[in-house]
Amino acid sequence: MTYFGYVLASYLVSAGVIAALIAWVVLDGRAQRQAIEDLDRAGLRRGDRSAPKGERP
Amino acid sequence: MTRKQRRLTLIAAAGVVLASAIGLMLVAFQDSIVFFNSPSEVAEREVPPGERFRLGGLVAENSVMHGEGTEVRFAVTDTVSEIEVTYSGLLPDLFREGQGVVAEGALDGNGLFVADTVLARHDENYMPREVADALKAQGHWMDEAEESYGSGGAQTQEGGY
Amino acid sequence: MIALANPTRFLKLAATLLPWLWGATAIAFAAGLWLGLFASPADYQQGDSVRIMYVHVPAAWMAMFVYATIAVSALGTLVWRHPLADVSARAAAPIGAAFTLLALVTGAVWGKPMWGTWWVWDARLTSVLVLFLIYLGLIALWHAFDEPSRAARPVAILSLVGAINLPIIKFSVDWWNTLHQPASVMRLDGPAIHPSMLVPLLVMATAYMLLFACLHLMAMRNEIWRRRVRSLRVRAATMLAPAE
Repeated sequence: MTYFGYVLASYLVSAGVIAALIAWVVLDGRAQRQAIEDLDRAGLRRGDRSAPKGERP
Repeated sequence: MTRKQRRLTLIAAAGVVLASAIGLMLVAFQDSIVFFNSPSEVAEREVPPGERFRLGGLVAENSVMHGEGTEVRFAVTDTVSEIEVTYSGLLPDLFREGQGVVAEGALDGNGLFVADTVLARHDENYMPREVADALKAQGHWMDEAEESYGSGGAQTQEGGY
Repeated sequence: MIALANPTRFLKLAATLLPWLWGATAIAFAAGLWLGLFASPADYQQGDSVRIMYVHVPAAWMAMFVYATIAVSALGTLVWRHPLADVSARAAAPIGAAFTLLALVTGAVWGKPMWGTWWVWDARLTSVLVLFLIYLGLIALWHAFDEPSRAARPVAILSLVGAINLPIIKFSVDWWNTLHQPASVMRLDGPAIHPSMLVPLLVMATAYMLLFACLHLMAMRNEIWRRRVRSLRVRAATMLAPAE
């Protein structure tokens, strides 16, 4: 294969960046889910009607 | 509903103003946004010797002559005018006769362009070698090439090939 | 769109769609990589370096498509005040920045062997670099506000202003002469790529598109969760704090 190094480099960089993106969304999702669970356990609930309204996503 | 329409109209109006402003700017800077000048433009503008610019066009057929070491001489053409170029250094792999090229440097006193960088410029056609050979064998190569430079042809006045 | 206005309904829909989308993405990538690396011919001029096209061009297309998504979301924020519009834009921005970076880097890796240089300041390359900087600017502006709802409108305006760069990128190769060649696929008189190379390119483009759909849905979900956590914490703080 001609230009093997360049082709390999472009595919490796692409794989690396895409892997980083996937890792970012997965880890960020886990962190947010964990935070919601922690708040749940602390007795705060999203559906809590007694709490003042105005929570917006 | 009317409030939404009013917001939409406002955004559209702002967009038109912004687009016109940017458009005018781009037209004003036309000459500096252009990456290279064709041999015809260089002849027309009578670029003085020593002034650096980029010369772009096709490497003229049968013009490439290798000198001592890495020295090479070739002509850049836009099919109307031609400028002789001399260069010493590594040439890109795509450098060959009939291919696009952009050379950076300046004219010397005798109308010879002394380049210190030579970049290859390829066209937008991609095909396997067998297809290219078949097209050449059938004699369709030139229409194909002309077609591909059709978009470039429109640029000719603006300084394409 | 109206059904999706409710974030809870959106989360439910995302949860149903995501496994299928990830499956389709994996299949498309497997097919695209096999076609691009093994089952497609070398180019008559560029040899095997043409295989860089199958990662470079889809990344460049996505760089622009993701920005278009942000611009449409910005309209949703400004005109319709859609509750998910800002979430969508904010979730898309880092993904778009990553695709733009990929387009720039793989382009440099392709430019070195073919053109003879990693980088030139021609209109196409420069306008794509500007796109990358606009992405960074949007992300920075979002972070400049503590409260996401306050950031939404200024960022939406900035992203619409930045959208003017999209036609400049697209037509830069036609309006000015550039070192970058003109469009091969998205052109009025049909693609200038032989089908044996066009098919792998389109399969890879589909794979990138599906990947963006997956990442965007997940990032939007994360953003919705993040805002819930934020508002819950704010509420907890106000409940604990003595009333003023």
